[in-house]
Amino acid sequence: MAAEPAARLQRVTKRFGAKTAVDDVTLAIDEGVTFGLIGPNGAGKTTTFSMLAGYLSPTEGRVEVLGLLPSAVDRLRARLSVLPQDALLPATDTVGEFLLHMARLQDIPAKKALDAARTVLDEVAGRDWWGQRCGSLSHGMAKRVALAQAFLGEPELVLLDEPTAGLDPRVAREMRELIAARKGRATIVVSSHNLQELEELCDAAAVLDRGRVVASGSIAELTAANEEIRVQVAPGTTRGTQPGQVPVEKLRELPVVKSASLDEERLEITVYFERRQADAESVIGQVLSLLLAHQVRISGVAKGRGLEQRVMDLTAGQGLNR
Amino acid sequence: MSPLAEIQLVAGRELRRSVRSAKGIVLGVLTLLGATVSALVCVRIEASERAAAKALSNEGFVEAKRQLFERVTGDDALAAYMARVPTSLIVFLKITVWFLPLLVALLGFDTVSADLQHRSVRFWAVRVRRGSYFTGKLLGLWATVALIALALNVLADAVAVARGYVTIGQAAGWGLKFWLVAVVIAGAWAGVATLISSCFRAPILALLTTFAAFFVLWLFGIGGFFARVGESVDHGMAAAAKEMSWYEYLYPNAYDTMLVGPDPARVLTAVAILAGFTVAVGALGSLLFARRDV
Repeated sequence: MAAEPAARLQRVTKRFGAKTAVDDVTLAIDEGVTFGLIGPNGAGKTTTFSMLAGYLSPTEGRVEVLGLLPSAVDRLRARLSVLPQDALLPATDTVGEFLLHMARLQDIPAKKALDAARTVLDEVAGRDWWGQRCGSLSHGMAKRVALAQAFLGEPELVLLDEPTAGLDPRVAREMRELIAARKGRATIVVSSHNLQELEELCDAAAVLDRGRVVASGSIAELTAANEEIRVQVAPGTTRGTQPGQVPVEKLRELPVVKSASLDEERLEITVYFERRQADAESVIGQVLSLLLAHQVRISGVAKGRGLEQRVMDLTAGQGLNR
Repeated sequence: MSPLAEIQLVAGRELRRSVRSAKGIVLGVLTLLGATVSALVCVRIEASERAAAKALSNEGFVEAKRQLFERVTGDDALAAYMARVPTSLIVFLKITVWFLPLLVALLGFDTVSADLQHRSVRFWAVRVRRGSYFTGKLLGLWATVALIALALNVLADAVAVARGYVTIGQAAGWGLKFWLVAVVIAGAWAGVATLISSCFRAPILALLTTFAAFFVLWLFGIGGFFARVGESVDHGMAAAAKEMSWYEYLYPNAYDTMLVGPDPARVLTAVAILAGFTVAVGALGSLLFARRDV
């Protein structure tokens, strides 16, 4: 029997008045994976996320986390944790008081709560902030403290909504490293429109657009990384059999290649291959050998088309910050 | 974790937050300043009352007060009981009870609405039952108001003792009783304020709605009181001796006379009604809050 997914949405719809934010979404998030919720602004990521966290009730359909309704707070206590987007920390509390209070509410005994709170604060490199008022923290510091509360205890399912939004690149990278360090210890769901971040962090993802799931699967499936390679060639390169030209027909003759094409405008060779016959690395080797033998100047090689390109294709070029 | 443990944690934090927030400190200081002025006014009233009755013995003074209370309340037992209480403490209790709704409204309008506005509530929503969160907020607000009322009572009692109107023992006894009266009434106001606060994401809307709701309750109380006074004038009876109209019972301050009086049955009835009111409003608030999106 297949393992119970860590979170599941079954035909879930959420309406706010006349506006449908999430429309008939069905999704299952396997236990232990790091899962991305991807989509442009207004795609329904945060609404989906909020229903998983129990902040919002679905208008229709059923949401389950760890086999329970999100409203079963008592049974989910300490098993489910959340980094909510844009939720302000209580300004008058010190960081220590806030984390201690959160730990106590997770039913961590008073004697252990202090250790637990200090441990997670250390984990986000905030040891010196213990006595500082939450209201006086910078945006980046507050985000880390919010992440620390989500890491309190050993939650089985961690929901992170836009964990790096509004952070400078250095802090954002540190946040990604903190999240990556948690991989394998819990199922992590990350909602973001930073595709590079998600490609880096996630094992699987769902792409949402206008409240609907338009694609879902592993990152390799979404990016076609296991059935497509792309080779960027130097400016001026054309199709042909002369030295320095791309021998497209010869590429197609390679045994593992299903099809090959050259986009002369973008100077990009796209090669599709049968994933059961070869992996991307061996296809890259064969393709590059052929191209180098024909003295083609190569600028770059990539597996798949990249999550960003894939999402742009799926969301019909609406842009991620519309 | 039991709901009670959750409520205890939320209420304890709310109390700490209230007494440490800028709003809590400013309101506390302003209330104490107002209370100081009120206490001095009360002392002045008592001093002039005593000066007017200078020719009387202490027993004669008490008897004159008893007759006055009897004329006002129409209740012999209550008049005899109240005649022994320093006037300054009675006036101070009335002032405290009168201003309680204002204090509760100003302290409580953002108790939940600010958390909804800033979405801070989401940190709690995955850790405590919604009902526990609401009840903890209500109790935290109630405890804050009780703390301020305690400070006010201590101040008034200290002034009465300093002026020699009561002994320390009497002040402690009356002070405790009057404080408990204020606390019981404050619970009902705190329930309504928390319920309204949990219905709005914008604290300013919560504040305006709280004022409007309290004003309507005050109209019930004041309307009923004047109706009874009018009837008393027509029929030559004390206003307090008349039965209260049903709508007057909706005004929490209307129970102060019942709570202060010597009849345990009436005191317990008033406590039961106010506690029931607070529990009913709290249960309704918990239910609505559990169903709403945060």
